[in-house]
Amino acid sequence: MSHGDHSRDPCPYVILNDFGGAFAMGAIGGGIWHGIKGARNSPRGERFVGSLSAIKARAPVLGGNFGVWGGLFSSFDCAVKGYRQKEDPWNAIISGFLTGGSLALRAGPRSALGSAVGCGILLGVFEGVGVLMNRMFAQPIPPMQIPEQAAAPAPAVAH
Amino acid sequence: MSFFSGLFSDRQQSPAEPSAAGELFNSANFRSTATPSASPAAGPSTQSSNGTVPDANLNAPPTAPAPSALDTFSAAYDPSKLHPLAGLGDNLDFLQLEEDKLTDVHGAQSVLPSRGWTDDLCVGTGTTYLSGLAVGGMWGFREGLARPLGNNASFKLRLNSVLNGCTRRGSFLGNSLGVLAIFYNIANSSMDAFRGKHDALNSMAAGAISGALYKSTAGLRPAMVGAGLMTAAAGGWSYFKTAV
Repeated sequence: MSHGDHSRDPCPYVILNDFGGAFAMGAIGGGIWHGIKGARNSPRGERFVGSLSAIKARAPVLGGNFGVWGGLFSSFDCAVKGYRQKEDPWNAIISGFLTGGSLALRAGPRSALGSAVGCGILLGVFEGVGVLMNRMFAQPIPPMQIPEQAAAPAPAVAH
Repeated sequence: MSFFSGLFSDRQQSPAEPSAAGELFNSANFRSTATPSASPAAGPSTQSSNGTVPDANLNAPPTAPAPSALDTFSAAYDPSKLHPLAGLGDNLDFLQLEEDKLTDVHGAQSVLPSRGWTDDLCVGTGTTYLSGLAVGGMWGFREGLARPLGNNASFKLRLNSVLNGCTRRGSFLGNSLGVLAIFYNIANSSMDAFRGKHDALNSMAAGAISGALYKSTAGLRPAMVGAGLMTAAAGGWSYFKTAV
């Protein structure tokens, strides 16, 4: 999702990675979340059973939602990168727009457009914050010292 | 690039190799054996070419060129030449780029290069989830096509039925397989790390654990059946990997 990052796979393979990462994040996070929620909402004495059934019912669904979002986003990101041949924040914004639009496609064009714009704005905010953080924490690159001896006609020293 | 490969890998670059940048660095005539105790007499002779020589500069040891990073490119690498005043000896630590390193568990190298257990988890889960989604989607597609909708059902009704089938069966199969893959990958990577190597036995044991865990709430018998099925699947996958 971030650009210019060499610790990630090249483009077609990164889709699989993002799919799995988002799914795992959603499923594990959803397991924790719904485990606590299911235990809290159960009567005393059945807390463990309620927690387990809540995890079984809801954590994979949450994982699936996360995974579909992340995978679609990554696919659109790769497609947009391939089309534009550029790496900049607009990639994420465009693919966020497309992801939001295609996920809400079945609810009608009006709703899809609203969701697409919402997702695009959200990703735009993320990217803007990322750029700002980069600017704030980036170390200024010191200018390279050019050795003065290079210009002087010094006698050649054997190496 | 060749300098970086010379610096960061153990491959030694031969000094006789002709390259444009090498000639540039050689012509610049760096003295990499710079020490602060260079003779002060050499100071005025070189600085007089500039014309104006401040008196304060005469006291400082002048002519030793400040050792720069370029020195390390032309000479064999020696940390004590990085900065003569810093007193750097052999106990110099370098940044270890652990994150970019490929996995070094013996026998775990596969088609896609992996950077460790998170990569395994993500790629394995993603592949399994995506294939579950695809297979389940086709299952739901057929189901939606075959569902009786009364006589002369409209296209819109049929499309809705097909899409409902796809999202129902696809997400069911994808979610189930994805969770199974998470269990399997976590168990597999833990055992890889514990045993220090990766083989078919390892992945079969991981399959047994994940199958049992997946079916653990249904009772002992389904858990055993699930463990057996997953063990067989993992064994088949390991055999397939070695055969390819």
